This record gives sequence, structure tokens and C-alpha cells, in this order.
Amino acid sequence: MKFFQAFHKFDHSWAQVTAANWQKYPNEQCPHVIAVDVLNRHVDPVTGVLHTERLLTCNQNAPALVLKFLGGSTLSYVRETSELDPRTQKLTMRTENLTMSNVLKINESVTYTVHPQDHSTTLFKQEAQIVAGSALSRFSSYVEDFCLKRFHDNAAVGRAGFENVLDKFKAARLEAASQLEKLEKAAVAASTASL
Amino acid sequence: MSSSIGEKCTKIKQEYDSCFNTWYSEKFLKGDVTPMCDDLFFRYKDCLLKVLEEKKLDTLLADARKDNPFPNSSANSESNKKD
Repeated sequence: MKFFQAFHKFDHSWAQVTAANWQKYPNEQCPHVIAVDVLNRHVDPVTGVLHTERLLTCNQNAPALVLKFLGGSTLSYVRETSELDPRTQKLTMRTENLTMSNVLKINESVTYTVHPQDHSTTLFKQEAQIVAGSALSRFSSYVEDFCLKRFHDNAAVGRAGFENVLDKFKAARLEAASQLEKLEKAAVAASTASL
Repeated sequence: MSSSIGEKCTKIKQEYDSCFNTWYSEKFLKGDVTPMCDDLFFRYKDCLLKVLEEKKLDTLLADARKDNPFPNSSANSESNKKD
């Protein structure tokens, strides 16, 4: 068993980060995520927490040897469950792979919280547990190390992808605000002209 | 906007996503939890469940839920009745 941990700070508010989180895919850095489906979703009437269960369909680039294990298919499925508490402003997402779990099981947990000192930014914490399954018992340590390295590299790529999504959202917000300003100016000009 | 696992569900899924994203930012984060997209979600889910069954992913999901259950909305509201 191997553990992975990473921290990051996003220079966007928690509201912006969590709103973008639902629209994270597709993004250029993560072309392997080919579909995202919402399986279940509701707001707990007592706690006000938004619970969501999603299914991610991924098309992984796998080496020939791994493809042999997979029986020729590169499609893999990941289940994600999340709890989003608007009162404490905390989003927790857990993911687990549904396919190939006898070969390798990866449980990941990610949290997004408001930075305690700077409310305009968001703290990101990522933890993962990697366990090679019984099918690979002889090579488990080797496979776990290999996957830990891959996970580490991919986590950085995933964060970069999300940063791009956040930047696009910010640009769209600024554009909308400037359009609104132009419209308001035009409206003021029109109303003064008619006086 | 992301696609659905079932090609035929993508259109309704994206309609639902648009509705949800608006609801999330404009209502939910402002404290209003009144549902707004239920009709779209039911139609999307109706399509999705059939695809999951066709791809035999329903059993895979059921197994995963045994270890890590997804909280049931009706059970919560039933067991936590107040007022």
C-alpha cells in the first residue's frame, strides 16, 4: 500500500472553484475523461449538504502489456461521491476505480476549503491510497511504486487543467461584466438623449 | 460541456447540467435550496439508467455502494423529520 498527498492553493474564491468543479471536464489536460454522468444528487433537508454521486468514464492510454491484462479494452470507470456543505464551505470528493480493482485499487479523497487567512482563495488537499490487488501480488511493490509516480505526475496535470478551467470562467465573468457595463452606458446615453 | 456515457443521453444531460450550474451559483450558494431542475434530472436519469444496464455497470455500481453507500435522500428526510 502506498500513500500520496498533495496541497495546492487556487487563487479563486470557494464559490467560484466549486462552481467550476462541476464543469471541470472536458479540459485539454484531461482528454482521457470522455464522459461524466450524475447518478444521484440531493440536498439533505436537515444539514443542507449537497450530496452527489457521479460516474466518470475514462479512456486510458495503456501500454501493450497492461492492455493484455485488460482484455483489450481501455475503458475504465470511476465512481465519485461528494459532500458539499455550503455552511462550513467545504467540498469533499471521494473517488474509487470500479474496473480493474483486482489489479489495482486507488481510493482518492479531495477537499476544497476556504483559506482561513485569505477568503478570496481556496485550499485544495488531495490524498490517495494505492493498493496492488491479488492479481499482481508478486509484483505489488513494483506496481505500487510505478502507479504512485504516475499518480504524482497526473495529479499535477489535473491541477493545471483545472487552473485553465478556472481562468476561462474568470475571463467569461469579466467579459460579461464589461458587456453589462457597455449596455448600462448605452441605456444611460439613450435615456439622456430622449430627454 | 461533458458528454454522457450514453450518446443518446448527452443532449438531455447537458440541458440538466446547464440548469444545475445556474441553480448552484444563483440559488444554492445564496441559501435557496428549492429544487429547480428535477424534471430534467428525472428525464436524464431515465435515459442513463437504461444505458448503465445495457453496459452492465449497474451491478458494478451496486457492489461499490455496498462498501461505500450513497446517502438516501428520502431516508434522511424520513428519519430527521422536524417542525
